[in-house]
Amino acid sequence: MAQPKYPNWPMAFLIAFAVFPLVPALDEWFFTFTNRSLVQQVPGMFIFGILTLALNAAVGYVGILHLGIAAFFGIGAYITGILTVPAYPFEIGFWCALIVATLGTAAFGGVIGIPTLRLRGDYLALVTLGFAEVVKFSIQNLDAITGGPRGMNPIPPPEIIGLPEPLFVDSIGFYFLTLAFLVAAYLLLARIERSRLGRAWVAIREDELAASCMGLNVGRLKLAAFVFAAGLAGAAGCLYATSIGSTADPNAYGFNKSVLVLCCLILGGLGSRNGALFGVFCLYGFDQILSPIIDVGFNNKFLPTVITPWLARHDC
Amino acid sequence: MSAPLLSIRGLRAGYGPIDVLHDMDLTVHSGEIVAMIGANGAGKSTTLMAISGVVRPRAGEVRFDGHDLRALPAHQIVCLGLAHSPEGRKIFPRLTVLENLQMGAFSRTNPQEIAADLESAFTMFPILRERMHQAGGLLSGGQQQMLAIARALMIRPKLLLLDEPSLGLAPQIVSQIFNVIRDLNQKGVSVLLVEQNARMALKIAHRGYVLETGRITLADKAETLLHDPRVRAAYLGE
Repeated sequence: MAQPKYPNWPMAFLIAFAVFPLVPALDEWFFTFTNRSLVQQVPGMFIFGILTLALNAAVGYVGILHLGIAAFFGIGAYITGILTVPAYPFEIGFWCALIVATLGTAAFGGVIGIPTLRLRGDYLALVTLGFAEVVKFSIQNLDAITGGPRGMNPIPPPEIIGLPEPLFVDSIGFYFLTLAFLVAAYLLLARIERSRLGRAWVAIREDELAASCMGLNVGRLKLAAFVFAAGLAGAAGCLYATSIGSTADPNAYGFNKSVLVLCCLILGGLGSRNGALFGVFCLYGFDQILSPIIDVGFNNKFLPTVITPWLARHDC
Repeated sequence: MSAPLLSIRGLRAGYGPIDVLHDMDLTVHSGEIVAMIGANGAGKSTTLMAISGVVRPRAGEVRFDGHDLRALPAHQIVCLGLAHSPEGRKIFPRLTVLENLQMGAFSRTNPQEIAADLESAFTMFPILRERMHQAGGLLSGGQQQMLAIARALMIRPKLLLLDEPSLGLAPQIVSQIFNVIRDLNQKGVSVLLVEQNARMALKIAHRGYVLETGRITLADKAETLLHDPRVRAAYLGE
């Protein structure tokens, strides 16, 4: 690989995220300033990062314009819900649910992918979009199974053997769990990029005809990418549902989310893992973390200490 | 003569409701360069795509080296030693030159053999070694065509299907490319060459076919075709 040498900033960021909660003073200082704990805010961003990496496999590597990733995110969340809430007889706990959600969502990806991946470009994009809407409305209306607009709860927090109590979602332990999954997804994609499979995916993106002339089974490789993206999105969905203790409202898995994920990818540069994380950091980070902080900071600090005195001085 | 390397009989192929090739017969013997000339839309590229399985033939027989190609999907046809370098070069523009060549060897697994073939590709095209780590899209047109041929050779083919290797290239580069094709053939690769540049193609070929609206209208020794008044009038501009 002929890549220019540059400092590996995503790793630096991840290390910063790993060290940050170990120094409670930092988060406490942050809390006094904004009334928010970063340790509680950031796992959502990690989960969103996993979802974005999942979409990167389909859109970034293979060039499948996929507009329905949120549906797979939702399927993962609802599989987790069905398998863990007390209303159902399963209650198999977080870890088994994670595995089933990943595989089950991947299977959904296969069922959708087999008939539709023959379509190209815009047509495939429309099918994925349509499928995602179908999933959202199905979840909303299958009240008896999914709880409809109320969603399903409570989804129990993950238990880890050896720990006396489960990892409550506002704990540092949960923070590290989601961070670990993000790092694992990142490293998995790094490994795939350098493998035969990753090269083949990129070759298909570059030129499908040439790729099939080189002996690539284009149909099957595209399906593999679609299924892989679905499975990883399902795992992210499982983490998401666990992180909020509920499957949330079906609208959380709508078109807006699919597009936001795609925007993160495009902002960071399609096909780039680091870019995907950068995009998540900018878009999701700003929307969900930085902008509320600025809001609180403005109202609590800046307004009373600067603006109001200034206004008073000028007799307004 | 021994059994031909590639034999096509009664081939019919097309897209959607339209047939492009009607009842076509064609053979390539081992060690030959066979040129296929014809106007735009005659079906030259479709013929190559029907052979390599990118377009599925609708009728007829396509046999290569003892295998029935109609029974196989495109990615398995490649593994039999049939390389197709498609029209318009179709290199992978954002992969490096080296990665492009490695993709060519995708169907193979022996790392030593691949390394050896990579080395011989660089010996044949020294410019590719110089620009090994640059993106394929940054090469000039002639260099991209060399890369496309080198990539197809990474399959270690018995038969190379070349679609318009002279497309959009300066005359000097074109003769360079044709010299390369002749050298390759002397090293034992059989070539089925599709060209608009009929004169150049017939000069290096052993035999030639003239394709008109999906049918072979002339088939003869390349030398004879080059002097055939009909070919001269229609394709050589005389």
